[in-house]
Amino acid sequence: MTPRAHVVGRLVALLAPALGALPALAQTGSITGKVEATPAKYLAETVVYVKHAPGTFPPKTESMDQRALTFIPHVLVITKGDTVRFLNHDTVAHNVYSPDGEAYNLGTFKPNEERTHKFEKEGAYSQLCSIHPEMLGYIYVNQNPYAAAVDAKGRYTIKNVPPGSYQLVVWNPKLKAPEKPITVTAGKAAEANFAIKR
Amino acid sequence: MDMRPRAALSLHLALVASTLAALAAPAPASAIPAFARKYGTSCLTCHSVYPRLVPFGEAFRRNGYRFPGVDSDYVKQETVALGQEANKKTFPNSVWPATIPISIPLAFGANGQAFIYPDQSASVSRANNGTQYVLDDLVKEGHIWAGAALDDSVTLWGELTFGGGEADVEHAQVLVNDLAGPKHLLNVYVGRGFPTLGSFGPHSSYLGDLRMTTVPLTGIYGLSTDPFTLVDSFNGVEATGVLLGRLDWSAGVTAGKNVSSIKFNSENWYAHVGAKLGGMSLDGEGSQGPKDALRPWAEDAVTFDAFVLHSREAFPTPGVATAPPPLGDTSLAIGGAIRGQLGSLELDVGGYNQKHDRGTAGLASVSADVEWAELSYVVFPWLVPAVRVERIGLRPSDGPHVDALHVMPGIAFLLRANVKAVLVANIETTNGFPGDSTGAPLGWMGGNADWGGFAIAPRDTSTTTSPRTEIQSLALFLAWAI
Repeated sequence: MTPRAHVVGRLVALLAPALGALPALAQTGSITGKVEATPAKYLAETVVYVKHAPGTFPPKTESMDQRALTFIPHVLVITKGDTVRFLNHDTVAHNVYSPDGEAYNLGTFKPNEERTHKFEKEGAYSQLCSIHPEMLGYIYVNQNPYAAAVDAKGRYTIKNVPPGSYQLVVWNPKLKAPEKPITVTAGKAAEANFAIKR
Repeated sequence: MDMRPRAALSLHLALVASTLAALAAPAPASAIPAFARKYGTSCLTCHSVYPRLVPFGEAFRRNGYRFPGVDSDYVKQETVALGQEANKKTFPNSVWPATIPISIPLAFGANGQAFIYPDQSASVSRANNGTQYVLDDLVKEGHIWAGAALDDSVTLWGELTFGGGEADVEHAQVLVNDLAGPKHLLNVYVGRGFPTLGSFGPHSSYLGDLRMTTVPLTGIYGLSTDPFTLVDSFNGVEATGVLLGRLDWSAGVTAGKNVSSIKFNSENWYAHVGAKLGGMSLDGEGSQGPKDALRPWAEDAVTFDAFVLHSREAFPTPGVATAPPPLGDTSLAIGGAIRGQLGSLELDVGGYNQKHDRGTAGLASVSADVEWAELSYVVFPWLVPAVRVERIGLRPSDGPHVDALHVMPGIAFLLRANVKAVLVANIETTNGFPGDSTGAPLGWMGGNADWGGFAIAPRDTSTTTSPRTEIQSLALFLAWAI
């Protein structure tokens, strides 16, 4: 080892803890954009996701609540292997079931009770309540954590995406649009817009 | 004056008047403000001078009151979900999903007419003590309409009409659409409604209530208190649809209205086929919109229709109210129509022959040949001059053959998209009158009676072969809906 290489090696070793503490943004990028829906009334149920990203992803636990006979959030985006806690902050009993994907029925649970379900299969799951048939929510289970639901104006941001080239896909229960290739660069925001329709 | 005709005249005037009143009860809408609220769109999306429909409105009606494409995509009114799309996967363990509007899908309206009788010696005026004008019916009817969709294939349509101290369910149908095959090919309508005998809405006239001139033949001869007509509100089941956007069809069975204490309603079956060349497709699918965006009613098209309707009705022996067995009358009507449109100019012509094996007061066979024609031009979207001609020929086997010709020039106005007025004159020529079993003249009935009807009272000196021409009336029809 040359003296110069030795110095560099020492510097790296000294700075390593500090580098590890830097925000992930320094090593990843983001994907942002806007989705326009025709008809616009279906926009709220839209998810944009990276189709496939290499790697394994530690499982997380997310929550979907029930308040005023409404699933909150209306659309929850999770990663395969994640667990969802279904809460009940209403004063009435609820049920949660889905006929989609791995189909489950979590039974009836009282106010302030909760049930959990681990999602092992990718795809969109309609969240239904057999006691209140008007209730509807969605859980979108992606292969990777690089996915986001759109906001009220159709905007979305997928954060912390490792640099690389991907296929970006938009999901909506009624509308569709072709997927798009996208390249993510560290520290930058790549942009992709969609127009979804029948 | 011969006493026999006078006695017969007085006996029949009450029947004629009541029959005219029944015939004059219109069902003036094919689409309603409830739909305007549902889709958040103007009446003018579907109508010109309502209830006349523009090509898009006709397509909406043919589709079972649904927009082309996916109907729910166009619904702006909030709905309450009675289930979710995903419940289709859990059926039969859950109820098939549906929605209902968040507000009751009702609309309201009223209509009526005022008459001026320029010739006090004409039949109606003379029968009403020489009256010069009549405002009795200026507000004649109130309506409550209902129109809603339960999902993208099942719709509901209803109409309740109030008038003369009575309420009548004129329409109450469940329309189950897209049952099999390509979209719009097979729809089934169950309930009370008008039999579909043509490609266009039953109220497809600017000057009359009905597109198709109707003849209550058994009513004319006094055999029935609620006479059979081709187009009226009947209970029944109809299958209908559109093929390839250019051919439409319908077939159904209905009960008539002639309920007697000794017999069920009449048994009717019917079928219709139509074909449209040019213009918007019959189902509105794939439409590129009107050729001229400022004239959504205009198109260059011709539509051909043919229909057949068979009826078997029963009625008590005249003068014997309840004694069985009832008398039977079998009738067969075969006809057709052609509507040609060149931009804003339209000519609609049609006719049919309706034959009854026991239809006259003497229980003899009789046939009626009926023709109508209406020429109209949409000058502005709110102003449509038109002239309508209706002719009825009666051919009884036991009496004189007589004809009546009705010429109706008029103008239809839209004061607002949901308020209309129609001014129409009625000029009638007859070469005689139908006769009762004794040969005494009876009043004519039929046609667009809302607008003055046919001569209801022969003159004192009339015989069944007396020719007459009279300027019967000037009518101002007013209607609004909200």
